[in-house]
Parts: sequence; C-alpha cells; structure tokens
Amino acid sequence: MVNKKLLAYLLVAVFGIVLFYFGTDGFTAYTSEAARVNQLKEEKPLFPEVTLEDHAERVYPFSEFEGKYVFITFFYTMCGTVCPELEKNMKQVYEMLPEDVVEEDIQFLSISFDPERDTPEVLDTYREWLESDGETWRMARIPDQQELDELLDRFGVIVIPDEYGNFAHNSAFYLVDPEGRLVEVMDYQETREAAVTVMDRMEGGGEK
Amino acid sequence: MKGIYYVLLLYFFLMLPPVANLMESVMIIHMHMQMTLFVIIGFLLAPALQKRFPRFFEEWNPNGIPGILLFVIVIFYWTLPRSMDEALNLWYIELFKFISLPFLAGVPLWDSWKKITASLKNGLISLFTLLFILMGWLYIWSPNQLCNNYLMIDQITLGWGFLLTAVCMIIYLAYSYITDFAKTV
Repeated sequence: MVNKKLLAYLLVAVFGIVLFYFGTDGFTAYTSEAARVNQLKEEKPLFPEVTLEDHAERVYPFSEFEGKYVFITFFYTMCGTVCPELEKNMKQVYEMLPEDVVEEDIQFLSISFDPERDTPEVLDTYREWLESDGETWRMARIPDQQELDELLDRFGVIVIPDEYGNFAHNSAFYLVDPEGRLVEVMDYQETREAAVTVMDRMEGGGEK
Repeated sequence: MKGIYYVLLLYFFLMLPPVANLMESVMIIHMHMQMTLFVIIGFLLAPALQKRFPRFFEEWNPNGIPGILLFVIVIFYWTLPRSMDEALNLWYIELFKFISLPFLAGVPLWDSWKKITASLKNGLISLFTLLFILMGWLYIWSPNQLCNNYLMIDQITLGWGFLLTAVCMIIYLAYSYITDFAKTV
C-alpha cells in the first residue's frame, strides 16, 4: 500500500517533468514563436528564388543581392500597430552600423506581404517617411502570391488576415548570408543587440 | 448506468474534426469551453471507472494527493501558450489534449476531491486563482503575440476570460470563508 503511494508520487512527478521537458523543448521555448525561432536557426533555410518589385519599380530576382548579407523585415504599409515600430527599429539598426559596411557588405530590405495594396508608389511614400536612401535600404513587394507564400512559409512568417483588412503577424529581424541562407532571427525590439549580432556575423564570416 | 453512453457520445461528438475545428477557431472557446468540457467529461466518466476499478483508485490515490498533482500538472501544461498553438498545428498534440484532459485531469480530480482536506481544497483554488490572474495579465498586457494562430484581439479576450474566472474563484473563497466563520461563531 505504502509503496504504491510512493510510486504514484514518483510516476506523477516523472510524467510532469517529461511532459514539460518535451512540451518546451527542454525548457527553452514556452511559446510557439520561441520554438519557431529556435527551429529556424537550426534549419538555416535557403531564401527561395523570388522576383521582387521595389519602390522604384525595379524588378529583379533575390539573387541580385548574392555576395552580400541581407537584413530583412516583413511588413505591410497599412499596418498601424507593430510594423511602424518594426521599421523604425530597423532604421535604428541601419544607423548603428558603420557607413562603409552599409554601403558595401549588407543590404537592407523591407518586404511587404500585402502586394495588392503595396504598389511601388505606396512603398515609395513609406520609404520617404523612413528617410531611407532607396539603395542600401529598399522596400519591395513580391507580386507573385505563390512565391510570396513559399517565402513566408520557409521563413516561418505567419500572416493571418482579419476581417478589417489588417493582418496579424509575427515580427522579427531576419539576416540572410551571402549564399542566401537564413542565419539569424533577431528580436526586433532589441536593436542594439541586433546590430552587434550582425557585426559579429560579418566579421566572423560565418559562425559566431 | 445508461447515462455513461450519453457521456461517451458527447465525448466522441466533441472530438469530431468539424466540431473540434469550430470550437478551436475562437481562442476563448478553445480554452475556456472546449478544454473545460473535456475535463467535465472526465468527471462524468469517473464514477463508472471507480466502480469498475475500485482497487486501482484506492491503491494509487489513497489520500488524493497524487491525483491532485497530476491534475495540476496537466492543467498547467495546457495553459502554456505554446501547447494551444501546437494542438492546432500537430495532430498528436491534439490527440494528447483529447486524452489527457478527461483521463489525466478530470478523472483524478473527481477521485481526489473527496479525499483531500478542506484547507487543501482552498489552497488549490487559491493556486488556480493566482495562475489565472497571471495568465490574464500575460494575455492582456503582453506586448508580443503569444499565440501564432490567433489574432491579438482573441488573446485579449482570453485574458479577460482568465481574469473573470479568477474573480469568481476569489468570490467563492471569500464566501466559503465567511460562511465557515459564521458556523463557528
């Protein structure tokens, strides 16, 4: 009798630990967003071949940026909540990096996931508002919905349209290496940390 | 014992994919209605199980504590934002939800509740009051979206649902304290 009672405590405790261990990837990820970031860093997915159309109506494939690091955010211009903050923070990272690095080694790219409304003209207005030069930091849309979906899926960007024409979406800074592989997913609220991570990456030429 | 068939019928009905999908499409219904219903199904199945396996419950849960612990662990697991997301994305987590809530939360709670002392009961309710206040605070005021599958507004609604439940439990605790006090005076 006594032994079974003790065994019951033990079994319940072990069950609890195992459940929480596997449920949180060894106590590291309590939300699926954290789990997503962990998984992306491990998988390092390749940026798919997509065609971009930017704010200046230039059309080119993503491989245009081959040989450079690419700092990416996903946004849409009608967004009134997270995106302005996301893009403003991206600007902070942009300004924190040394000028020669920004001109030579890294490309800043804001990709809209609302290609229907975010035409080049709209993107250009947004660019002006952010005071970007339009070269080292570009705004672009992916006109082909299928290509866009493939990219969002591969980079784990979840976009849910709501009934008011807005989107719920997760936000982060993404860093793609010169070979087109996603190497970092960074917290968009920690701009200083992101800038340091980017510099470390570029100086180390790969692994931190 | 004919009632048991109706309970099983309800259980299987709630697991039907269209029914489950519909309930899961709204976050607060997913957490505060669907999950609660599965625990209640456990309550309703428990008497039959106790009758069928009386020795099992006596031997493994003599004082009610292991059962309560199991209940707490399972419910805490299902309040993790991630568990809710994964129940939607991964079929085996969904299946685990259907099994764990009735059989690892509902049944053990039913069996334990009559065995534990009044102070432990109140302690347990206090624990869940605290947890629900914390979850409410987290879902309403957290700057980030905790669940990838739901809109922000759904999360805020859920947060208020948690707080409201916590308020109900506080009222219950106050009520039981006052009535107990009245009895002793």
